Amino acid sequence: MLSERVVTDVLLAAMSTGGDFAEIFLEDTYNTQIRMLDGAVDEAVSGRDFGVGIRIFQGLKCVYAYTNEIDREGLIRTAREAAAALHGAPAGRAVVLSRLAVERFNPVRLEPQQVPHQDKVEVMKRAHLAAAGFHHQITQVAVSYLDVDQNVFIANSEGLFVEDRRVRTRLSINAVASKDGEKQSAFRGPGRHMGFELFDRIDVEEIARDAARSAVTMVNAAYAPGGKYPVIIDNGFGGVIFHEACGHSLEATSVAKGLSEFSGRLGQKVASELVTAVDDGTIPNAWGSQNIDDEGTKTRRNVLIEKGILKGYMIDRFNARRMGMEPTGSSRRQSYKFAPTSRMTNTFICAGESTREEIIANTEYALYAKQMGGGSVNPATGEFNFAVAEGYMVRGGRIAEPVRGATLIGKGSEILQKIDMVASNLATGQGMCGSVSGSIPADVGQPTIRVSEITVGGRKEAK
Amino acid sequence: MDFRELKDRVFAAGQSAGLEELEVYATRTKNLHVAVFEGAVDDYRASLEQGVGLRARWAGRIGYAYVEKLDDDSVEYLVAGAKAAAQINESADEVEFHAGSGSYPQVSCFSQELAGVSPEELVAFCLDLERAALAADKRVAKVNRVLTGYEETEVYIANTRGLEQGFASNAAYGYVSALAKQDGQVKAGSKFLVERDWSKFNAARLAGEAAAEAVSLLGASSVPSGNYRILLRSDVARQLLATFVPVFSAEAVQKGLSLLKGKLDAEIASPLVTLVDDPLLEQGVGSVPFDGEGVASRRKQVIAAGRLVTYLHNLKTARKDGVESTGNASRPSFKSPVGIAPTNFFIEPGEQGFSDLTSALGDGLVIIDVQGTHSGANPVSGDFSLGAYGYLVEGGRVVRPVEQITIAGNFFRLLESVEAVGSDLEFGSLGGRGNMGSPSLIISSLAVAGV
Repeated sequence: MLSERVVTDVLLAAMSTGGDFAEIFLEDTYNTQIRMLDGAVDEAVSGRDFGVGIRIFQGLKCVYAYTNEIDREGLIRTAREAAAALHGAPAGRAVVLSRLAVERFNPVRLEPQQVPHQDKVEVMKRAHLAAAGFHHQITQVAVSYLDVDQNVFIANSEGLFVEDRRVRTRLSINAVASKDGEKQSAFRGPGRHMGFELFDRIDVEEIARDAARSAVTMVNAAYAPGGKYPVIIDNGFGGVIFHEACGHSLEATSVAKGLSEFSGRLGQKVASELVTAVDDGTIPNAWGSQNIDDEGTKTRRNVLIEKGILKGYMIDRFNARRMGMEPTGSSRRQSYKFAPTSRMTNTFICAGESTREEIIANTEYALYAKQMGGGSVNPATGEFNFAVAEGYMVRGGRIAEPVRGATLIGKGSEILQKIDMVASNLATGQGMCGSVSGSIPADVGQPTIRVSEITVGGRKEAK
Repeated sequence: MDFRELKDRVFAAGQSAGLEELEVYATRTKNLHVAVFEGAVDDYRASLEQGVGLRARWAGRIGYAYVEKLDDDSVEYLVAGAKAAAQINESADEVEFHAGSGSYPQVSCFSQELAGVSPEELVAFCLDLERAALAADKRVAKVNRVLTGYEETEVYIANTRGLEQGFASNAAYGYVSALAKQDGQVKAGSKFLVERDWSKFNAARLAGEAAAEAVSLLGASSVPSGNYRILLRSDVARQLLATFVPVFSAEAVQKGLSLLKGKLDAEIASPLVTLVDDPLLEQGVGSVPFDGEGVASRRKQVIAAGRLVTYLHNLKTARKDGVESTGNASRPSFKSPVGIAPTNFFIEPGEQGFSDLTSALGDGLVIIDVQGTHSGANPVSGDFSLGAYGYLVEGGRVVRPVEQITIAGNFFRLLESVEAVGSDLEFGSLGGRGNMGSPSLIISSLAVAGV
């Protein structure tokens, strides 16, 4: 996308005031977004994002600049403007670029840009019909479709010169159920790092009906009891608990500065021994997978916690300097408008040995969180919160009545210690994760787990 | 290529491709963002970004496309992209392109003084913030995040019905988060400021408040679950208002996604609540001369002493309801289709100061932060259940800090159960949902889950 000559000149301009490392990230992204309400498309957007980000390090200082002007002149001007924030003499190092071939393990069969919009609309209609026809209490179905074709070029002063392509496709279904003037909604959003063949791999109708079933169940449910008691969190998107409560606190973004509750605790027991957790950016076609990260490092499978012992963090190139450790292929950004930093890819708790049925049968009283909503965490204090989208009470070893409106709060390190049962049914779910380097696709996952106690926010008192 | 030249080319290419009407919405944004850590700049970001969004009508239907690169390829892409998008649109809604409002209000949305603040001054302010937070109290162990920034945006809109308007706006922001430590407990306190008036950027004050808040939370513990009287501090009241802003949108009402449907002229809130959207507010960060469709801005009451006066409209929803647009068409970005959002949206202040409200609370909880509004709150049902912390109040006095609780309730019930409105109106929060403000509010009861 850019010639080696121009890249070299821009990198040297970026380092002209004492920078010891410079990087160029160019992006040309095509995307399609279609929104359907009650079976009719009411909004469609075709877009092309295009720009360049230039990053410079000087020791533990980082400067980032970006622009849409990508001719030689515009790039050199942006590099110089960024360099003006640093003070020093050029190190006089030469830049010798060498082209790196990327091993592509996320094959794309049907490029979304080549698929007629009408085919995308057909899939959306199938989802609409399945959800809308599920039950008379379903009063509204919103379906949206997204495809993104991101072409990136990354080069740096250490000689890296690499191109990559990321194609992602996602369908989102939001079913609303109404009863006596009250409304409850349920969301499902299957997505993969692949093209339009996604719809040969997933059962659109089944997923849409599941959203509808969940909304109908919740509109007929009473409020969850509040208090501190056991919680069983189901497999799949339930993994958002690990993502929020622990994953963010294992990112170098907070670990490097000693701000995380997990800083300086490698080799220590931080979780119940039933917990092994991994961040793996190399799973073919998974939503959060990438051939290379957003600074050109190959992604890998990083073991974070093994049988309760803290084994590793997710580390980007800049924080690697502060930590004196190697980058782990975890550096990500929403677009060229963000400096990359350590983020999660596909993060999950590994399979254990129990079954869901055993866990429920062995529980006297608990909240069973069948579907989780989103959540957030303050990595400095470890305090997290997240919403239970579909919940049930467990009484006497059986699933009892459905409950709505529950929120789980707590501290990540405490929850990890309190996981006392882990099933073998590992599954994943797709989410968009927001943090300092923007909103990025990430898989969360886990088998069904039981936590001996969590503070459950709700409207009634427990028991 | 500048915006006007691109517009001319897009209109020409679009008309020959059979597009019936075209509208270009373009922005150019200059941004500087600085963060420091332990006395040195560790993150410095500068950007110049631009983009053009095209809204076009083909066979009566609307399609959108956008680009960030302004060249000949992009003219072609915009026209083909918008046409392809229009071809699949099945919405029967009539969308009208605005020919112009005749006259536009004079609005102060750009400060020359602020534009003259140098990058060095922003860095110096950021360093001062960190120093001041650390100096404020011995128990402040670390400043985990401190940043400042400046943003300047030019907006340009033009369509084939003759509308052509533009304006520039700017604002600066500062944020500091301090960590206090004692007996193994870590507590964070943070303050965020976004303003156009540079004289309001007082490092000692902002950092002092963040540090004092962190320290004040040391020793926090939970409370027993139950129903409590609640004082929502102004920033928390504002955050809740921002979370439920979609319920006031006529689009949500028409689509059956707002429980305010059919409630016009009804009492929906305590008579103490008057809610205003004022795009003309002096120094308001959300102030604009016209909205995302080029309709002239005007001030309006949304709730007047508890009674719902109007929804927020753009041209499409206004036509459907047979009313005039309230000038609330929003384009959070050139990439976004026309939606609806408030500008400077606030609950009018009452008479009592914060300490008077604390006394008036009697026994209850002061909530100074809530977490999880993006997941634990449902704008459709109005239900929320959010992580929270604050202070326990007994006999009108703060007795201790409180952590690890949730507050749960329903936004519509909350509006009805406002018992007192403070005088401490403060604005905050940037982004697509507008500039929000609220005074502190006493709520007669919310469900609290603790131990």
